[in-house]
Parts: sequence; C-alpha cells; structure tokens
Amino acid sequence: MELLVSILALGSTYALLAAGIVIIYKASHVVNFAHGELAIVGAYVFHSAGFLSSATLSGTSVLVAGIIAAGGSALFGVAIYFALMRRLLGRPTFVAAMVTIGLAIILKAAIVVVWKSRSVGIPLGRHALRNFAGGGRVTWIELVSIVTCIAVFAALAAFFKYTRLGRQFRGAAENPLLAAQRQVNINLILALAWALAVFSAALAGVLFGSRSMLSPQSTVIGLSGLTAALVGGLDSLRGAAAGGLLVAAATYLTARLISPTLSEAVPFLILLGVMWWRPWGLFGTVEELDRV
Amino acid sequence: MSNPGGVAEAPLLDVRQLEVVYHDVATAVQGISMQVAAGSIVAMIGTNGAGKTTTLRAVSGFLPAEDVAITDGIISFAGRSLRGLLPDQISRLGIVLVPERNKLFDTLTVRENLDFNMTRARQRIREAVFEYFPQLAERQKQVAGYLSGGEKQMLAIGMALICEPRLLLVDELSLGLAPIVTEEIMTILRAINRSLGLAMLIVEQNAAAALRIASFGYVLENGRVVFKGEAEKLLAHQDIREFYLGDGNAGSYRNIRQYTRKRRWWG
Amino acid sequence: MRFSPMASSPYLIVSYAQTNRILPEPYQRVIVAILAVALVCIPLFSGDYFVHLLNLCLIAVIGAVGLNLLTGYCGQLSLGHASFMAIGAFATAILAQRYGLHFIVVIPASCCAGAAVGLAVGLPALRFRGIYLAITTLATHYAIIYVLTNYEAILGPSASAGITIPPLSLADHALTTERGWFYALLVVDAAVVMLGLNLARSHVGRAWVAIRDRDIAAEACGIDVPRYKLLAFTISATLAALAGSLGAYFTTVVTVEEYTLELAIIYLAMIIVGGMGSVTGSVLGAVSITLLPYGVERIFAALPWSLGTVTFGVQEATIGAAIIGFLLFEPDGLIEIYRRTATYFERWPFRYREIKASGAR
Repeated sequence: MELLVSILALGSTYALLAAGIVIIYKASHVVNFAHGELAIVGAYVFHSAGFLSSATLSGTSVLVAGIIAAGGSALFGVAIYFALMRRLLGRPTFVAAMVTIGLAIILKAAIVVVWKSRSVGIPLGRHALRNFAGGGRVTWIELVSIVTCIAVFAALAAFFKYTRLGRQFRGAAENPLLAAQRQVNINLILALAWALAVFSAALAGVLFGSRSMLSPQSTVIGLSGLTAALVGGLDSLRGAAAGGLLVAAATYLTARLISPTLSEAVPFLILLGVMWWRPWGLFGTVEELDRV
Repeated sequence: MSNPGGVAEAPLLDVRQLEVVYHDVATAVQGISMQVAAGSIVAMIGTNGAGKTTTLRAVSGFLPAEDVAITDGIISFAGRSLRGLLPDQISRLGIVLVPERNKLFDTLTVRENLDFNMTRARQRIREAVFEYFPQLAERQKQVAGYLSGGEKQMLAIGMALICEPRLLLVDELSLGLAPIVTEEIMTILRAINRSLGLAMLIVEQNAAAALRIASFGYVLENGRVVFKGEAEKLLAHQDIREFYLGDGNAGSYRNIRQYTRKRRWWG
Repeated sequence: MRFSPMASSPYLIVSYAQTNRILPEPYQRVIVAILAVALVCIPLFSGDYFVHLLNLCLIAVIGAVGLNLLTGYCGQLSLGHASFMAIGAFATAILAQRYGLHFIVVIPASCCAGAAVGLAVGLPALRFRGIYLAITTLATHYAIIYVLTNYEAILGPSASAGITIPPLSLADHALTTERGWFYALLVVDAAVVMLGLNLARSHVGRAWVAIRDRDIAAEACGIDVPRYKLLAFTISATLAALAGSLGAYFTTVVTVEEYTLELAIIYLAMIIVGGMGSVTGSVLGAVSITLLPYGVERIFAALPWSLGTVTFGVQEATIGAAIIGFLLFEPDGLIEIYRRTATYFERWPFRYREIKASGAR
C-alpha cells in the first residue's frame, strides 16, 4: 500500500511536469526543455518566500509563499512568452526548442547565483498520515500531491474539451495563421499556455521539494517529465498522466527491486524504447510529417 | 473611376496602387487598383503568378509573416486604412479570408471548427450554415481532416461566415474540386450574397465559374490589372474568351500559332 | 581595367572550377595570409596562460566543425556530441594507459571508435527529424555516458579521479609545453578545417544541404538520404572523438563527469553563435564560446563587486544568453555579420542582395 502511494506521489510530480510540457506543445508545437529548471526555480522561490519572515513554516507563511509562487510563476510564464517565444513565431519550432535550452542554462545558473547552490527542502506535511507495520508510512504531503495532480488534470481536461478558449487553443496549435484570421488573439492563447505551464511546473517543483531535497542537480527531473510527456504523447493530456505514472512506477520499482543506480537510467531507457516503438506516444495524435 | 456593380456610393474595399515585394527582390504586385462595392461579388481572374493571391493576402494582413512587404499603395476598408494591422484585427473589422491552403483545423471536428469563435449571437449563423450546407449538418462529429475536398471547402466557408464578415475573401476555391462541386459551391455563394447582402471578392483560376456569379471582374497579369469591367462584358470579350475561357475562334489547334499575339485590352 | 569595379566583380564566373574556390576574392586571400602569419607568431610573444586558452579553442574547433557538419549542413539536430567526445577520450584512456600503445595508434583507433559509435547512433536516428531526432540523440547520450560511468567505476584506480594517461610522446620527446601543443593542434586544425571545407563544397556537402532543406525532395531527386545521413553522423562522431582524444592527451586526465549534456549544449552554442552551415563559422563560434567564460571572469574582476563562488553560474548564464541572443537576433551567426559586411563592399554601389538561401559555404 505504501509502495503504491509512493509511486502515485512520484507519478503525480512527473505527470504535472508532463502536463506543462504538453500544454506548451499543444499550443505552439514547441518542446520546452527548460521545464525541470522552471520547476526547481519555482520551488526555490516558494522556499524563500516561505522563510522570509520566520524561521519555521506557519500556516500564513505557506499561504503567502503559495500566492507568491503561483502568481510569480504565471507572470514569469507570460514574460517568457513575450520576451522570447513571441519573436520566434513563424520560425521552425526546433529553433524555439533551442531557445528553451538556452533558457534552461540561464535558469540553472540563476539557482547557483541567487541561492548559492544551497540544498534546501520544503518541510511541508512531512508528518505521517498513517503508519504501517513494517515501518513504512504514508505522509500527508504524498496524499496532497496525488489529490492536487488529479484536480489539476481534471480542470485542464475540462478546459480543453468544453470551453471555447480550449478549442481555440487546440486550433491555434495546429494552424496559428488560420486561428489569427478567425479573430483569435494568438498572443493571448500562447501567453496563457506559458502561464499555465510554468504554474504547473512550479507546483510540481514545490510538491517535489516537499518530499526530497532541492539542489541545482534536481533539475534532472525535467528529463523524467519530458520522458513522461513523450511516453504519453506530446499533445495528449491524459497521455501526460499515464506517462507520469509509468515513468514513476518504472523508476521506483527499479530503484527498489534492482538497483538505485540503474534507476537513474530508467528515464532514458524508456525514452529510447518509446522512440523506437511508438514515437508519438500512447495517446498522441499520429503525426506523420513532423518527425519521421 | 468606374462604378463596380453600378452602385453610386463609396466602395467597401478600396485598393489603390498596391505594390508588394517578396524578399526584397521580386515584385509580385505592381500598382494594382481595385474596388469592391458593398453587397457585390467581384471576381479576380488570372493565371498563376499574376498576383491574385498576393493581393488577397495583402488585404487580409497575412503578408508580414513571410518576409513580404507592401511597399506602396493604400488599402482602405469602409474608410479605414488596413496597412499595418494584424490579421486578427483585420478579421474583427469584418474582412474574413478563406485561404487556399490550410483552411481548416484538421484535428478538430466539424462542429468544433464551426464553434471556434462561437458566441450566443452567432449560433443562428451556425444554423444558417447548416441550412446552406446540409452535408456539414450530417457530419458534425466527424474530424475535419477526413472530409472530402468539397466538404472541406464548405466547412471553410462556413467557418468564415460565422465570423460575421462584411467582406468575404475567397482564394481559389475551385482548386482540387470536381467541376460539379465547384458549381454547387459557387451557386451557394451567390445565394448567400443575395440573401445576406455580403460583399465577396473571389480569386479564381476557373474564370468561367467565377464570372458566372460575379457582378464585376478584374483580370490580372504579371502583377497588374490589365482589364476590368462588368462580368457580362468580360464574358463577351474576345480576348478573355480566347485566353481564359478556352473559346478561341481559331478552330483547330493547328491554327493557333498566335498565342504570342498582343492582347487587345482596349476595346 | 582593374580600376573599374565591374571588371573585378565577384559575380563574373567563367569556369566551373571558379565556383568552387574556397577563397575566390583577393581580399579574402590577404585576410587568410595575415591570419596565418599571426597564428604562427602569437605563441612566440604571449605567455603560457594565453597559449593554453588558445589550445582549448583549437581543440574546441575540431569538435565544432564536426557538429556543424552534422547539424549545420545536414540539418540533423544532435545533442549527443559530448558522448562522442567521451568515447574518443575513453578509447584513448584505455588504449594509452591500459595497453600502453603509441599515440600514432591510439588517436586513429579512438577516431574509429567514434566512427563506429556514430554509425550506431545514426541508425536509429534515421527515422526521425527535428525535435524527435534531438530527443533520440539525448537518449543515446545518456545511454553512452551511463555505460562509461560504470566502466570508469570498474576500471579506474579511484573511480572519481578519473584515468590518468601518459603524455603524448614521439620517440623520446614528450609533448608537454603549451607552445608545442599549439603548433601540433594548429596543424590538426588546418587539416580538419580543410576537410570540412572540402566536404562542404563537394557532392557530399550539397547532398547534406539538400537533405537539410527538404529531405523528401532530396530523396525524390535521387539522393540516397540514409547513406548521407549516416555519413554525416559518422564523420561528426569521428571528429568529436578526435577532439575528445586530443583533449584527453592535453589534460592527461579523463573523467566522465566533464562530458555532460551541458558540454553538448556548449558545442551547439558554438555553432549557433558562429553560424550553422559554415565551417569558418564553426571556427569563429568555437573561439568565441571557449573564451567567453574567461572574458566574463576578466570583466567581473575589473568591476568593484566580486563574484566568488557564483562566477561559474554567471559564466553559464552568459552562454545561455548567447544562445538565446543569437537565435533571436542573428540566427545565422557571426559569419553572417561578416558576410553582410563583405557583400556590402563587394556589391557597392549596387544595392540589392541575393535572396536569402543559406547555401553551403
């Protein structure tokens, strides 16, 4: 039981990361390589905001930190769009992907510069929800992670399927010029996509930081998130959920049952496998031209 | 300046001396002037490379996206200048383009395509679209990429209508369509024009089909307007009949050695 | 006749051989001659530290040319360059340290190892284009590094300190001075650049550019696309392995930690900054990006506030900023700036320039 919860909790982090990557890809066909870095920076911001006034985390400081992190991440997403991505509209999408690689480098360097590469943790909800006989336990934060993830996914799915803005998202992703001609403000859609994506990244980062220590090296979860997104299909939200779960399960079980060092290799082994057998992932639309 | 459509009022769309240059080197459109009166259908005919699509793109604001610049000329719509406006702004003013390629969202269903910019008020337009194009009503849940060519064109026009246009720009709708389907769609366009009073600018290589529903026409060649007039006049004109409608009086093809002869655009 | 600008027009081409000349214009030959003399003379007048930096640049040039041939000319976006360099370095380490072979054998063998791995990576990469190709090469990068990390743990005396290699020596003379390395690397670089330029202006280069621009059309024209893609991967990996091998001899210690994804991105930055699809661009980019961190350090040393531990962070950030800046504002790289100036003068007083078709140059 405890194993299941741990996998679900880890899976929820990966799924949230994958969701952010999927949102950006859905809206603009750009693969965001900076997602892991965005998540960790968000977590660091939350940590700093939380510990600004006092040495311990209280209810209010968590709330304040949450608002700052949430609002800041959304604004940052909008800023990334207007400063960087907007100028790249009309260029091939791998150029934008390379710009995100550059952004990833800058963000990682920012962690080193601003927070002096300190390892920090977010001691939130670490106390046990339930203790098991064998010494394992389920913590509050794991439960919160899972519930938050489900809530976010449900909201996003409803948004894309049932709302007009969600339809416009999908249309703009496929054919931005036509969408512009049909009176859709492309800038609005894309800025919204980036805001949502960075927000979900920060959320994932905070949840991650509550269970493990944060350091500049933590940005490697971006690779797991990207793998999860690819496994599920880069333009499919339910694929992001499925992919996150799969990658988490594979990583966790490999670490427990085989060896911890091999578990580091799991994300890219899965990546190679997916690329080989089914490049468009489990649930992605089968696009012919762009990749093969 | 002649009166297109015979209506004595300021034209809805007024293009004067438009000049468009591709990549700083190739002038695609050199000094085109044309007008579209409110409520009329105007046809632009000409061969490939004449500058028809470029003019449409210039009017609908698509050009700057491709390193193509409007270097001269005035484009005004109901008195407002269109130069420098973004495509979605121009679209909101009431000029809606049905492009030649990539005219739909292939991954969305027919219903979702039509609902792309749906508001309460526009729902009645959707009903009207289903009346004009019953095939679309039958296939509402079908993914648009899997429609036939004619249905795709109908859907594209339907989507454009839902945006509540005051001027509809249609780019080469007959491309890839069977003649009977072209005929059907052209007839529906004329019906829409008559019942809604919607002005249309139709760019066509299929001169016969276009001139049959248009009230006024422009003939473009090499980026210039070489002839204009009422549609009946164009249909009757000897040169147009010979070069665009395939109706030469030369008899057998063996007699046609004079495709190099100068066209008699005057008279 | 020589006075009239039109008589010496660069567009007056009268023979096929003339279209393929590397330095068609007299002023270009003058520039190259001056550069050659300068390069030979510099180490005689500068200190060891500066020559050391130049040596790092020269090694980077080899890798950058390799990556540009693959990504710039052939259009295969590859993030696996660091892993190819690691292969070269580790092959060198094993052959030199474990088997004690001479560098004449080791370096070519390392290049062959690189070629083999490049071929192996190129095979699955044939299926993909664009971003998916990049992701595939990312996965292969991690796979290779993983294997090498575990190998290092088994092999090296102390796993984290890396493998020490005896310095490169010919007969009794060991190559240990910076100056000596400089001239040796200069010769290698000249050969590599010539190789790159020759490939670029041959049918291979043209095929690559065709594949980059529209591979379906290239295939329709009869170009054997898989063969040329594999050729690109192999050559690129060989050059990367050469760079890794020389780097291993240069620093005499090989650790797997230096061959990170960041290194691959740094090489990507080199070709972005220098100019994708241009061998001279690779040289410019390699020199710029290699010297950039040191430049940053110097600038901050001159400023009142000291950086201390965050210097590294700021250096990384400048590389990221360079990537973004060039991609946004000057996507054709430094070489394009040179070309714009050159064509402006070449064409003066005429105004119009050719349509932007980024061809093989």
